[in-house]
Amino acid sequence: MASPDIRALPVDAARFEVVKNALLSAAEEMKIVLAKTAYSPLLKMAGDYSCGIFDVRGNMVAQGPDLPVHLGSMPDSVRSVVAAFPEPDAGDVYIHNDPYHGGSHLPDVNVVVPAFHDGRLLGYGCVRAHWPDVGSATPGSYGAVTEIYGEGLRMPPTRIYVGGVPDPNVENLIFANVRAPAERIGDLRAQVAANRRAVLRLQGLAAKYGTGELLRIMDSILDYSEAMMRAALRRIPDGTSVLVDTIDGDGIVEPGDTEDKVFRVKVAITKAGDGIVVDFDGSDGRVSGPMNAPLTVTRSGVYAALKNILDPGSLIPPNSGAWRPVDVRAPEGCCVNAAEPAAVTYANHEMSVRVADMIFAAMHHLAPETTLAGSHGTGGVAIFGGTDYRTGETFISYEVTKGGFGARPIKDGINGVSTPTGNMMNTPVEILEMSFPLRVEEYRLVADTGGAGKWRGGLAAKRTWRILERDVQCATCCDRTITAPYGLAGGQPGSIGLLHLEMPDGTMKRLQGKGAFLAPAGSKLHFQLPGAGGYGEARERDPALIERDLAAGYVTPEAAARDYGYVAPPSRPLAAE
Amino acid sequence: MTWRVGIDIGGTFTDVALVEESTGRIGIAKVPTTPRDFAQGVLDGLDAGLTRGGIDPGAVSLLSHATTVVTNALLEGKGATTASIGTRGFRDLLELRRSMRTDLYDLFQDSPPVIVPRRFRYEITERIDAQGEVVTPLAEDEVPALVEALRAAGVQTVAVSLLFSFLNDAHERRLGAMLRAALPEMQVFLSCEVLPEIREFERASTTAVCAYVGPLLQSYLGRLQEAVSAAGLPALHVMGSSGGVVDIAECLRMPAQAVESGPAAGVIAAALAGEQLGETRIISFDMGGTTAKASVIVDGEIAVTADYEVGGATHAKRWAGGTGHPIRVPVIDLAEVSSGGGSIAWIDPGGSLKVGPRSAGALPGPVAYGKGGTLPTVTDANVVLGYLNPVSLLDGALPIDRDGAERAIIEHIAAPLGLTAIEAAARILEVVDANMSGALNIVSVERGHDPREFTMIAFGGAGPVHAMTLASGLGISRVIVPPGPGAFSALGLVASDLKREYSRTFYTTLAGLDLGRLAEAYASMEAQGVAMLAAAGVDPGHRSLKRFADLRYRRQAYELTVPVEDGSVTPETVAALAEAFHSKHLRTYGHANDREPIQVVNLRLTAAGRRPALVLRQATEPAAARENWRDVWFPGLGLTRTRIVWRGGLAPSFAVTGPAIIESLDSTTVVPPAWTVAVNADGFLIAQETTHGVA
Repeated sequence: MASPDIRALPVDAARFEVVKNALLSAAEEMKIVLAKTAYSPLLKMAGDYSCGIFDVRGNMVAQGPDLPVHLGSMPDSVRSVVAAFPEPDAGDVYIHNDPYHGGSHLPDVNVVVPAFHDGRLLGYGCVRAHWPDVGSATPGSYGAVTEIYGEGLRMPPTRIYVGGVPDPNVENLIFANVRAPAERIGDLRAQVAANRRAVLRLQGLAAKYGTGELLRIMDSILDYSEAMMRAALRRIPDGTSVLVDTIDGDGIVEPGDTEDKVFRVKVAITKAGDGIVVDFDGSDGRVSGPMNAPLTVTRSGVYAALKNILDPGSLIPPNSGAWRPVDVRAPEGCCVNAAEPAAVTYANHEMSVRVADMIFAAMHHLAPETTLAGSHGTGGVAIFGGTDYRTGETFISYEVTKGGFGARPIKDGINGVSTPTGNMMNTPVEILEMSFPLRVEEYRLVADTGGAGKWRGGLAAKRTWRILERDVQCATCCDRTITAPYGLAGGQPGSIGLLHLEMPDGTMKRLQGKGAFLAPAGSKLHFQLPGAGGYGEARERDPALIERDLAAGYVTPEAAARDYGYVAPPSRPLAAE
Repeated sequence: MTWRVGIDIGGTFTDVALVEESTGRIGIAKVPTTPRDFAQGVLDGLDAGLTRGGIDPGAVSLLSHATTVVTNALLEGKGATTASIGTRGFRDLLELRRSMRTDLYDLFQDSPPVIVPRRFRYEITERIDAQGEVVTPLAEDEVPALVEALRAAGVQTVAVSLLFSFLNDAHERRLGAMLRAALPEMQVFLSCEVLPEIREFERASTTAVCAYVGPLLQSYLGRLQEAVSAAGLPALHVMGSSGGVVDIAECLRMPAQAVESGPAAGVIAAALAGEQLGETRIISFDMGGTTAKASVIVDGEIAVTADYEVGGATHAKRWAGGTGHPIRVPVIDLAEVSSGGGSIAWIDPGGSLKVGPRSAGALPGPVAYGKGGTLPTVTDANVVLGYLNPVSLLDGALPIDRDGAERAIIEHIAAPLGLTAIEAAARILEVVDANMSGALNIVSVERGHDPREFTMIAFGGAGPVHAMTLASGLGISRVIVPPGPGAFSALGLVASDLKREYSRTFYTTLAGLDLGRLAEAYASMEAQGVAMLAAAGVDPGHRSLKRFADLRYRRQAYELTVPVEDGSVTPETVAALAEAFHSKHLRTYGHANDREPIQVVNLRLTAAGRRPALVLRQATEPAAARENWRDVWFPGLGLTRTRIVWRGGLAPSFAVTGPAIIESLDSTTVVPPAWTVAVNADGFLIAQETTHGVA
């Protein structure tokens, strides 16, 4: 198993492994504490958060089993705290959500806590959690606005605890500006508790191995990931791949237009030796709506995709060292390198997921066996906010629903599951309905939504909510409602996303993917996610797989005839479903 | 003179443990497992055990069994052809799961296939809302077509799981009754009978697992019962995952409770040993050929968890949703890591030394066993360092190839890292010990327990080799190696109480709790428990009923389980409950908020039939006494001339200070420097670290 990539570690190999694992399990413990104590269903049930351990400069040393898409941007968040508070004290807790200081979008609230041992700074814990509301005109803070000032409460790095206790001046200011403040306070306490677990673990390691040794090992972990990533890059061929892609609007219908217009992103990937440059020169400029990605968000999409491509066995610890060989460039102020005061909220998931899909598609030309066809490519967000008729309390429900996962060079895609760069969970229907005045009337897979191919794309899921008793404010965020997820190597694209509002009288109104609206009592939101693209030519598909899909109802007989030229042998009628 | 007999069917060996009730005398038999017909191996083992001990089958008072049938059926996809019926609109509940990916960075990894293929998933028109009220009545007119479809599909069993049936089970029960009447040959499992708890996917998944393994379990247990009856033995009992045994009828009512039956038995045995020795805080450590398992027992209470996936990775990593089939039944809270004697050591491309998760298994096995293995394993490292006998194991039955083990370590580990064979072997152990420390940490530190306050009970073939070194690393200064450590899990089977857990969702705030309804709910679960115990022949003096409740702060999603006082339900009961919850939250998560409303989610009841206590004892055979010396490597000392003694010949007064090695037929106990081992009156090895130091 020896390979020429082996390099001597400057620390003992066995101790290195032990401490590396201890830091990873500390990040995992943080995650458990957060999930088990948070108040919002978005955090406790859907898992929209990430936990990490950072060195004294703000580099990420260990990330929990969280959202890959937070990988690239969390270190920027911690670095901006380090810059704002160069001399932290034990007992400090910092809060921050500013996309123009290393944040991703306003709902993602970072809570950062320094760890000390014998008076010496060891590093930081950081918990990034999506708060279901951070103010603004729209419940859930997902309105289609044109400047960051309209997106909610913006918090640059701010000290929120002093000496281990909350500073009421700061907390009062924050909680006067968000909806359902009692729930937000519960979430904040959970974030602090999770960070305290990180501090405890870092202190334990320092006590056991000595502070100097711990800090040396933390440095080595970054170097180790870098070496592993460079080795992985050397294993794929050198070359350049250029791709231009279409994004399905920013949620804003411009004056004079009748619909939300698409825009373009261009990427050029140049892989040479053990380094890679990802250049977005030529992409469209700032868009009006909240689809502008801060560079840190764009980087996250790039990193998450490259990690999937280069390290399928998960041998490279995902940390800041792993990204040293990756150079991401984009012109200042364009739609993938947002400049203040552009609006950013949707871009956090819509643009990072799209950037990742672009990397997968572009890398197909350099290393075809490592990548996959287009997945549903959206956060699939549905937000409902208003007053619960049962209790009179304000509520905000934030849910994500999943579409297809792209077909792969050796197998079909996956039905109704997270994208390759996300990993959020659905909210159980029974928990949702007990918490909020909604009724889910349908949650199922939709036939014929997976792109045809030698390997079929994953099917989309569809969820339908009935609004009960009182009108609610609703917001959705779904890309891929115009341009379908791509097929690869001759595979067909998946289906586009479809959103409809069914009025109480039964009339159906097609909705654009992104934006806020009022949903009257008794109406129903139908939300069908995009399906994923297929891989390889449809005519090469094994007829046995087509028959299996027909029996399961993943594909209808009409689609089988149209897409695969398949007609069931008369002697073997298909079992009725 | 009555005996209890436990049978643990493992991948390689079927272990049989016999314990005489009055004296605690132990007998052990180990025979090859017979996968084509497990009953054969069981009969062979029983025969060997009974014959060797001169025991008449009529003298056996309890026959208890741990089975891997349920787990294996799921891992190998060999369950029954199963259909599911859900609320209209929710056909794909089992496939959509929680929409999580199994591995964050592996584009090619999928969840295991859904145990109910989509063509066998059906819907029926009906709906109950979040208040338990009927929104859409059950469409009984759809049932005849459903029955026809099930019949035409040729399914053997059906799992029915309708939304909110945990609040109002009328639709599910009516549908179940109609299906049972129309399809008497089909097993019908209802989610309200299997698991009346909130969260539709987890409830449906548990119900589907029951349906999937039900027919198989029925025929397996039926055949086994027949075989043991023919041999004149009493009714068979089965170990449940939560650590109690149930009779066959009860096991078939809720087949999902039979997962993790074997590992549970080991923890029960550790609890028994702890009780006998007066140890109140125990970490059990069970290391075999491919995995190591750890669990915690405090004041005799075994920790159980409700978040478990059969065949998944939830026991290795705490966060591994989607890797298996979720079941929501209490399972003994074990941490399991892929570290065993057969785990292979290797170097990754970044230059880091790793051990596992690949295992050489039984074949080709470690290089030292000379059965064709070529890659260095933990066992090979143990042989090279002198911990394991370099000539032979199993009392001479297994010759050891020490030179082969050394060559493999040099080639694959020592040379690439620029180390000597001894240094490389020591590093291999350091890494595997760190992996196992992780498991021990998960069950102790991560649950808020300080390992320094615990005693470790070590068993499994490889457990006593690593136990004391691991203990030192965690600050544990006391380690116990019980009699028969290699077949210790089978002993747990005979020590278990008859036990069954009941639960139901009871959704209310603590402040708004209706005392009458609470009393009524517990009374009805208690009636079920009493009926189960009576049917199993447990006399009233040995019955125990314990109440628990799952609570959380109103807006949280995960509950903590706290005990509820017996007797009549009063306002004081509720106050005590709140107090217990706040303090458990503080202990578990480091903060509590006594102004925050508390939500009651589930009520639980444990019904147990206590058995007369056992005392485990291993007799000394002074004639077997023997000892010699060999070179063994210890950290800080290097290769050291070390005393080797044979356990079977040790008298109760015997004591030895490390470095020393204690060998026996089924295991080897390594005593590092600074540890002293004494043999107690019952034949347990009691090890104490004399100076507190970190290895």
